Amino acid sequence: MQDTSGAAPLLTIRGLRKSFGPIEVLKGIDLDIARRQVVGFIGASGSGKSTLLRCLNFLEEPTAGEVRLEGELIGLSEKGGRRARLGAGELSRQRRQMAMVFQQFNLWPHKTALENVMEGPVVVQKVPKAEAEARAVALLTKVGLAERMHAYPSRLSGGQQQRVAIARALALQPKVMLFDEPTSALDPELVGEVLKVIADLAKEGMTMVVVTHEMRFAHQVCDQVVFLDQGVIADMGTAEHIFGGTGNRRTLEFLGRYLDHRN
Amino acid sequence: MQPAYEWDFSIVLEYREVFLRAIGMTLTLALTVIVCGMALGLALYLVRAHSWRVVTIAVTGIVEVLRAVPPLVLLVWIYYCLPILTGLSLSGFQTAVLALSLYSSAFYSEIFRAGFQSIEKGQVEAALSVGMTRSQILRRITGPLAFQRVFPPLVSQCVLVVKNTSLAGYIAVAEILYQGQQISIRTFRPLEVLTIVALIFLVIILPLTFAANALEAKYRKKYFG
Repeated sequence: MQDTSGAAPLLTIRGLRKSFGPIEVLKGIDLDIARRQVVGFIGASGSGKSTLLRCLNFLEEPTAGEVRLEGELIGLSEKGGRRARLGAGELSRQRRQMAMVFQQFNLWPHKTALENVMEGPVVVQKVPKAEAEARAVALLTKVGLAERMHAYPSRLSGGQQQRVAIARALALQPKVMLFDEPTSALDPELVGEVLKVIADLAKEGMTMVVVTHEMRFAHQVCDQVVFLDQGVIADMGTAEHIFGGTGNRRTLEFLGRYLDHRN
Repeated sequence: MQPAYEWDFSIVLEYREVFLRAIGMTLTLALTVIVCGMALGLALYLVRAHSWRVVTIAVTGIVEVLRAVPPLVLLVWIYYCLPILTGLSLSGFQTAVLALSLYSSAFYSEIFRAGFQSIEKGQVEAALSVGMTRSQILRRITGPLAFQRVFPPLVSQCVLVVKNTSLAGYIAVAEILYQGQQISIRTFRPLEVLTIVALIFLVIILPLTFAANALEAKYRKKYFG
């Protein structure tokens, strides 16, 4: 099941729990993600898949357990057995190693596509403006938006906005890309252009974690699929395992319901 | 039958120097109060939004009291009571700046609060995910966005500040209304003088609101096509 290159996993998740008030959304998650792996999180609404993704870059603070990137504890510092929240600078450094793409794109409306992509490198990483701009132009060209780089988000379609958001995340030169339902807010005819960009990144060997409802995409692009149900990993394995009919009973039930619902 | 009132605006010309100096005083006072009030209002909002619960409750209380007290009471109270309580004696101008800044800061802080609260959480999360710190987010993302959204009420509040400067006359600050009253006492021409005072306020405020509307339309066109 694991990539057996012998190298340590890039991301390790151990005993991760998250509660919102009295409701426990994640009930103990253990997962390893290897370099160059594309991992898909699937599951019903409320299964905890988005929360799990948001715990990875500490947008949500886990209630218990830990996330490590290359062995480094995320969001917390350890001193003499006690854990405390990391300072802003350290948290910033860790977060930009795990760039995130959101369901609602979340482009900054007062900045052009180009400025959106340049913001992180210039403001956070202190990359010289000319260099950041060259990098941003290259990335926008890569996602097919070179001609639209001076447009404000309000002038772009949803699919274009999401591609700018992907370029913005890539501009940080992250070690992992986190996608939170990247096509759920798109009109059906715009889904394809965004999924193609993500599939291209997979081919280039980018490590990615994708929360998705696009089962066909998960089947085709993900190396590893994790099925979450009521806050636990109910099943996981290769896309072939999950979608090829050899998953466990809960997986098959979910996929059955899901396909019924779709048709 | 009453004799017809004979309007005579010539006295206004006679006292034009006094009026000009009064306009200068009103503008100086208004500008100082706008700058101080806005800065204080922003500070009040930030403390209220990002502090311990006790501080938040205290600041909320201060804002509510400042909003409820009539500005004239605040002005007179600071002018007469502050020296008694603290031994600190402020000039009329300083008192007016302090009182009107405090008073308007409560309203500015509420306007800023509305602005910041209207910003979608996702905007902040996107900024956090690229590694921005709280202060970078405030300066580059939420600040500019909130400012644009609350621009119209912010301008309204500035207009109110300009008008409220006329209260400073109560403690003998030589602004427009105060000087107008002095002139009308001397000339027995209150109607002419008050008319001119009203016109001066119109001439100060209308360009302000026109400029604000034009600026807002420009922003809207630029970002939201």
